[in-house]
Amino acid sequence: MTLRRITTVEDLHAYLHIAMQLEHATIPPYLTALYSMHPTTNADAYRVIRVVAVEEMLHLTLAANLLNAVGGTPDLTAEGFVPTYPAHLPDGETDFEVGTRAFSRDTIETFLKIERPALAEGDGRFVARERSSRALLPGVDAHEDDLHFYSIGEFYAEVGEGLQRLYDEMGDDLFCGDPARQVGAAYYYSGGGAIVEVTDGASAAAAMRVISEQGEGLGGTIYDEEGELAHYYRFQQLLLGRYYQPGDQGGTPTGPPFEVDWEAVYPVKADAQLDDYREPGELRDAVFAYSATYGEFLTRLTEAFSGRPDLLLPAVGDMFRIKELASQIIRNPMPGAAGVNAAPVFRGLAPVEVS
Amino acid sequence: MADDNDVLAAFLTLSATLTGYSQFRLLGTGQAEPYLATTRGAVGDDVLDQLLTTSAAVHDKAADNEEALDRGLRAGILSDDKLGPVARNVIKMWFVGTWYQLPQEWRDAHATREPDVTHVVSPASYTEGLLWPTIGANPPGAKGQGYGTWASPPLIDVP
Repeated sequence: MTLRRITTVEDLHAYLHIAMQLEHATIPPYLTALYSMHPTTNADAYRVIRVVAVEEMLHLTLAANLLNAVGGTPDLTAEGFVPTYPAHLPDGETDFEVGTRAFSRDTIETFLKIERPALAEGDGRFVARERSSRALLPGVDAHEDDLHFYSIGEFYAEVGEGLQRLYDEMGDDLFCGDPARQVGAAYYYSGGGAIVEVTDGASAAAAMRVISEQGEGLGGTIYDEEGELAHYYRFQQLLLGRYYQPGDQGGTPTGPPFEVDWEAVYPVKADAQLDDYREPGELRDAVFAYSATYGEFLTRLTEAFSGRPDLLLPAVGDMFRIKELASQIIRNPMPGAAGVNAAPVFRGLAPVEVS
Repeated sequence: MADDNDVLAAFLTLSATLTGYSQFRLLGTGQAEPYLATTRGAVGDDVLDQLLTTSAAVHDKAADNEEALDRGLRAGILSDDKLGPVARNVIKMWFVGTWYQLPQEWRDAHATREPDVTHVVSPASYTEGLLWPTIGANPPGAKGQGYGTWASPPLIDVP
């Protein structure tokens, strides 16, 4: 079986667009679980999820730097960029759905699947499955739409190899992007690791390494080169109630134990859609305002990734505001549904519901 | 008002009228249940029940007439020796997150309960105080704003 790998710069652009979409797609589920916790409870679990969510934001920015470096144009406002949850991840992972749900054991199980380690190097990274209509992202190749990656780590391995192949072919011409479009440390700080400006082969490799090692791990280790625990194992700590420490093997953490209060959670509506808020009133207004605010935020990020990295500074304030609005919504009951709380909908300025 | 949800709903109705913030905003602080529990602990079930029953009667009678509601609250609750100080405490608690010990005259006349001491209800109640949105600011050092955001207009809702 042959699959078209990355052979042209256009292919690489397409993959990096998907990378941005993929990194973003994990954030609303992580934030919903995070904000569903009761205030001042679950300090450990809150910190674990928050750290992963912030690292996904770093990965999103690194993917934008990579795309800009090779002459692409990031667009977080493109139709379909934000998934309608529940959704499948793009790369063959049709065996589970990702959604915006309350913090629970089941939700963490899903997060483990999102972050699951890669299976194998080489051709084994592709699995053939029937294409789901709910898949988040376009298939790898239009002619062989049933081939997908087993995990996010394997997707990035393909991106890394594609980059290398094109670099071998084209040399420095591959990095034709305007360096002014790179987001550097002046505008990205304390956000889950060091940002890498991508201007050549070495910096591209460094950016790729942060994304794949910090995220899902590749090659069976639980810590990356910087000594950071991969996301899969961070989440696993919540189910096991114990922290990993250096020297541990996957599955058997030996660090300090901690308590998780699975009950101190607002039972938010799973995979809430705008359509769930038909009853006029303040809650409906708040949910629609939230969606619009989120869309404006994605517009601002698009501008920031298009030569205005300075816009990331005020965007930090926007992120705190988004957190406040989401928390207010989550603490309100869903009208007409006993025992269910409201949940924010991450759509955009002109929300379109896909049935 | 045996049902917990009914008691919470009655507490929210009264709180919304007393603070001028909508029930959506009050619930959005995540503090409605802890404040209800704090009030109950400090004044006891009987006084709480009397407060909420009186509030419900005033709201029913006033219907949508704000002037009648204002008059009814002043006459039936705020100027009442027993209920007035409790209602004022509820207002203060929503705005600053602190339960203040009731006046000595009230304690002498009605109840001296151990939980009726001045205390911050929880770390969250300070940051969620209605004081902050009322003055258009974030609680200093307690809610994130982001480096350099002081150069921009405040981003929080002013009611």
